[in-house]
Amino acid sequence: MKKTHWMFTILILLSLVLASCAQATQAPEATEPPVVETEPPAEATEPPTEATEPPAEATEPPAAERKVATFIWTQEFDTLNPLYTNMWFAAITHQLWLSYAWDFDDQGNPNPVLITEMPSQDNGGISEDGTTITLTLRDDIFWSDGTPVTADDFIFTWQMTIDPNNTVAQVSPYDLLTSVEAPDPKTVVMNFAEPFAAWAGTMWHGILPAHILRPVYEAEGTIDNAEWNRNPTVGVGPYNFAEWESGSYARFVANENFWLGKPAIDEVFFRFVPDDASQVAALKAGEGDLGTFIAYSDIPGLQDAGVNIVTVFSGYNEGWYMNLSPEKGHPALQDVRVRQALAYGFDRFTLNKDLLLGLTVPAATYWDNTPYAFPDAEPYPYDPAMANQLLDEAGWVDSNGDGTRDKDGVELVLRYGTTTREIRQDTQAVVQQQYQEIGVGVELLSYDSDIFFGGYGDGGPSATGELDISEWSDTTDYPDPNMAYWLCSEIPSDESPAGVNWQYICDEELDALFQLQNTQVDFAERQATFHQISKIVFDKVYWLGVWQDPDTFAIGPRLQNVKISGSTPFYNIYEWDLVP
Amino acid sequence: MNSSLESSSPAPAVQDMLEAPPLTLGQLTWRRFRRHKMAIFGAVTLFLLFIYSFGGAFIFSEQYANFTETGARLQAPSSTHPFGTDTIGRDILARTIYGGQISLFIGLTAVIIELLMGVMIGAISGYYGGRIDALLMRFTEAVLNIPQIFLLLVMAKFFAGKLPNIQVLGRTFSGSVVVIIFIIGLTSWPYLARIVRAEFLSLKENDFVMAARATGTSSTEIIFRHILPNSIAPIVVSGTLGVANAILSEAYISFLGMGVQPPTATWGNMLEGAYNYIESSPWLWFFPGMLILLTTLSINFLGDGLRDALDPHSRAA
Amino acid sequence: MTRYIIRRILQAIPLLFIISVILFVLMQNMGDPLATMGGRTITRSAERERLTRQLGLDKPIYMQYLYWLIGNDWDKFDRDGDGIEESPGIRKGILRGDFGTSLVNRGIPVTTVIGDRLPNTLILMLTAELVIILFSLGIGVYSALRQYSFMDNLITGISFIGYSMPIFFIALVSMYIFSVNFKRWGLPYLPTVGMFDPQVGKTASEVLRHLILPVFSISFISLAAYSRYIRGTMLEVLNQDYIRTAKSKGIPRRDIIFVHALKNASLPIVTIIGLDLPLLLAGAVVTERIFAWPGMGRLFLDHLTRSDTPVVMGILLLISVAVVVFQILTDITYAWLDPRITYK
Repeated sequence: MKKTHWMFTILILLSLVLASCAQATQAPEATEPPVVETEPPAEATEPPTEATEPPAEATEPPAAERKVATFIWTQEFDTLNPLYTNMWFAAITHQLWLSYAWDFDDQGNPNPVLITEMPSQDNGGISEDGTTITLTLRDDIFWSDGTPVTADDFIFTWQMTIDPNNTVAQVSPYDLLTSVEAPDPKTVVMNFAEPFAAWAGTMWHGILPAHILRPVYEAEGTIDNAEWNRNPTVGVGPYNFAEWESGSYARFVANENFWLGKPAIDEVFFRFVPDDASQVAALKAGEGDLGTFIAYSDIPGLQDAGVNIVTVFSGYNEGWYMNLSPEKGHPALQDVRVRQALAYGFDRFTLNKDLLLGLTVPAATYWDNTPYAFPDAEPYPYDPAMANQLLDEAGWVDSNGDGTRDKDGVELVLRYGTTTREIRQDTQAVVQQQYQEIGVGVELLSYDSDIFFGGYGDGGPSATGELDISEWSDTTDYPDPNMAYWLCSEIPSDESPAGVNWQYICDEELDALFQLQNTQVDFAERQATFHQISKIVFDKVYWLGVWQDPDTFAIGPRLQNVKISGSTPFYNIYEWDLVP
Repeated sequence: MNSSLESSSPAPAVQDMLEAPPLTLGQLTWRRFRRHKMAIFGAVTLFLLFIYSFGGAFIFSEQYANFTETGARLQAPSSTHPFGTDTIGRDILARTIYGGQISLFIGLTAVIIELLMGVMIGAISGYYGGRIDALLMRFTEAVLNIPQIFLLLVMAKFFAGKLPNIQVLGRTFSGSVVVIIFIIGLTSWPYLARIVRAEFLSLKENDFVMAARATGTSSTEIIFRHILPNSIAPIVVSGTLGVANAILSEAYISFLGMGVQPPTATWGNMLEGAYNYIESSPWLWFFPGMLILLTTLSINFLGDGLRDALDPHSRAA
Repeated sequence: MTRYIIRRILQAIPLLFIISVILFVLMQNMGDPLATMGGRTITRSAERERLTRQLGLDKPIYMQYLYWLIGNDWDKFDRDGDGIEESPGIRKGILRGDFGTSLVNRGIPVTTVIGDRLPNTLILMLTAELVIILFSLGIGVYSALRQYSFMDNLITGISFIGYSMPIFFIALVSMYIFSVNFKRWGLPYLPTVGMFDPQVGKTASEVLRHLILPVFSISFISLAAYSRYIRGTMLEVLNQDYIRTAKSKGIPRRDIIFVHALKNASLPIVTIIGLDLPLLLAGAVVTERIFAWPGMGRLFLDHLTRSDTPVVMGILLLISVAVVVFQILTDITYAWLDPRITYK
């Protein structure tokens, strides 16, 4: 009698096996040619005048039907006040309802939004000595409650940012301003203490409505707890905020009076789906029109389902940060030949081709795809013979026959750490194997990102110099090339635990060049300085690029006219259209 | 019926119920266990799984299991790779063998910790009673009141990255293996402690305990040699089912990203790695998933059988 | 009885205290909420220093715990982050009902953050619990009555598989079968993620449609376990003498099953279900993540990974209180159902 129990269990197991086999074979049959989808809309708009063609008639009534797009966000914004968040998902949402003063198009060219034109030395917007920048605001910009946007809003935003009573996420670069004046309601004069080269890429990402928040500040002494932070009914941009239901979605409605043109899409929903696989499932099922940060492994499946993948470079490169601390780092890494050997011995090209499906390439410098990388920069080729040679020259040989090189009794075993993302852990395993061939031992470690990126004061593994090679993806103040990782002053210690120079690099030549570029407002001069900087970093292998890390957007078949910019992705969202 | 009275005559005639030597607990249990076909099936399957994981290491070297070949990634099962390859070209069959070693090891050692702590605390609490009991029970309740998965997550985060890689017998293991074992063990003992305490509370009123005390036996001896063997039934069952629970817990925490870190393989983190490939490469999750399923299934059958066999009130006597 | 309840409540207070200390200690080494603050780049040094002081993260752990417990309005804190403590505190502490504000959603009170999500979890949990109770009773009774029949064996087989499978498996596979593939095959399909379609709104029918898959995933495992358990207890009860007496007295079958047998068999179920309710809150962590259900499990996970101590402590404390309350409720229900039990 009980025998039948396990007979049935086996039967059920068998049916599970069959079911999964069926699923695997179903997939290829379900592919739809994606290309065909995007063609018909263009042709369907051709013969609408013929009354005898029913399909053409169908394109008329949608004017009465609202066009609603759904974007899928894998991280819910923590707050909607631009001063209090560092989240990418919050910052780019602002482009819909709290326009930046200017943004950048998909070619990287600046695009005035709230101002009439970009200030420069030619049109007098930037003073001779570079310390004063004047912005002229447009006449036709209004907050969603009808109040005109004036220079007072800019001044208020600056005041709130630098006010110590507000626990803002980031004070810089507004603390570089000595004053902000408004000679008339439509002119903003910014006075810097010293010429600030990076102004175009880093300032005015969302202005606060002074008429709403000033009363809050005066009543409470801070705007930390303002209702507007969660319920910003007053904004300025192509869309207006409608509602935000925590955990589920946020809704934005088109602004009829948007000065650059009324948006074609009437409503935009942001749905919060934290799980990557669920995001992909929702995109495939057509429940979302846009998705972000698609993993390379999901791309073929999405393309089969008719979704377009757009990759946009936003300054991010995945790379190795070498630990050059004389006390805490591995002694081998102090020798530039060893670091070069590591570059030659790591086949990043095959890695990009296989694991990243050839959708990106190894990064040569930190400033790839910007005008600031030194000309003709090419990543180190894969040359294990060269790697072996360099290591021999540096004195690291395998004297005890255990497969790993050593010198003066120290084994060449490097601690290589990164976060727990699958692609990174895969890279680690591949590297470990490749380095066996050049006699370098590798110990693999991975951490949760909150722990991995912990500062010196929190005992973060990279910050405290425990790792010899740390891998992560980072950028400059894109589109500005400035960054602080290699300044001597940023080396963390017990006295200054917040320092970000986790590689403990102090190269005086490099330091001097960084100080110099910060003051060079002239593009050509600055570019020349950065060419020198990037060459030094490349030659000395302070940083080794593993792959260029563009942002991957999944654009559903319904969306049209979509152009994505690297730094300000939604710059032309008012031109986007939805075809059912 | 009358024959039993007559067989009390000196001539050794037929062995019957009255004269037959009493069976030991072990023999009785085994007899009842034998009739439980599913439990046998479970035991046999478990045995085979152990052979698969620990014996398979003789067929595939660990070097082979960790050998990456990115050009051969995500290949469906074939003659060279019977279970297919994973995202960096490692052979999944070999990986499930080594992964099985870790998963089973985690399951067993976590349960050992759970048993040690649960029995210790439950026994002391139940035997001594009074204030010790009150104190220990408050502590047990405190841990019990926090849902296990929350506690697991918080503890996993607490210990994350703190332990270095471990070198044993020339093989390197991620420190997170030890962390997982501890936190699973430390979060599952309260349940057992309460059961053991209940057993001790009822057993210590029995005559044989009073007799032992009267003859001056020390408390430790009473606990370990008299009461504990009589309460072995729920402990054995709990321990057996605890292994299944530990293996599943490991899979859960790995899924949430806080389990054993690669490249050390476990069935749980192989499942997590397959999460994004459910449709496109089903062999990635199918084999580790089936192995987890088979293991927990057999353990559950086994536990079921043991419970019936060890329970004096069960119908299968 | 009332005295018993009061005694239990009084006992619960030191319990909650111990729990809060354990949890707070564990929370301390969890990670740095300022590491990236949800962004993609590492927080700059100057900002990190300032924020550490402003958010009170530089204080020793026992001070942070004290402030959390009884607030800091009796002390001064460093509001502007310049190293000098000159502003009077504004927090009142847990004991006065102030759960603090979230570190991640800066400025938003913890009660608001949790309160937004709590009803969603309750909807999910209570529906799942209802499904579990009804179906496990039904299946368990059916199985017990038809012991060893074909259906019984089938159900037993499925049950065993059911509680041997990890929940995320069931969730994801069911999502793929019933949502993605059903739609592809042209069959009526279920939605993939979320609690409702934002374009349609939070209507009852929308929520119901979206409830199906998550509830199925959560209840499947518990159903498997409980139906077996009920089957076991039913079998035990059916063999008791009083059932045999009832049968010989000629009481109709339905009455025997539902009035006599079931009532007695369901006693242990009450205990288990009562204790299980707050645990379901936890089990939802994985399901909520996969189905993007805006509930507390997901909230916990999100804020745990960003080391948001106030919110995580708030959730854990809430759950502990729920567990204690349900334990008391279960004991009361048990006593009410079984007249043999009295509490002193």
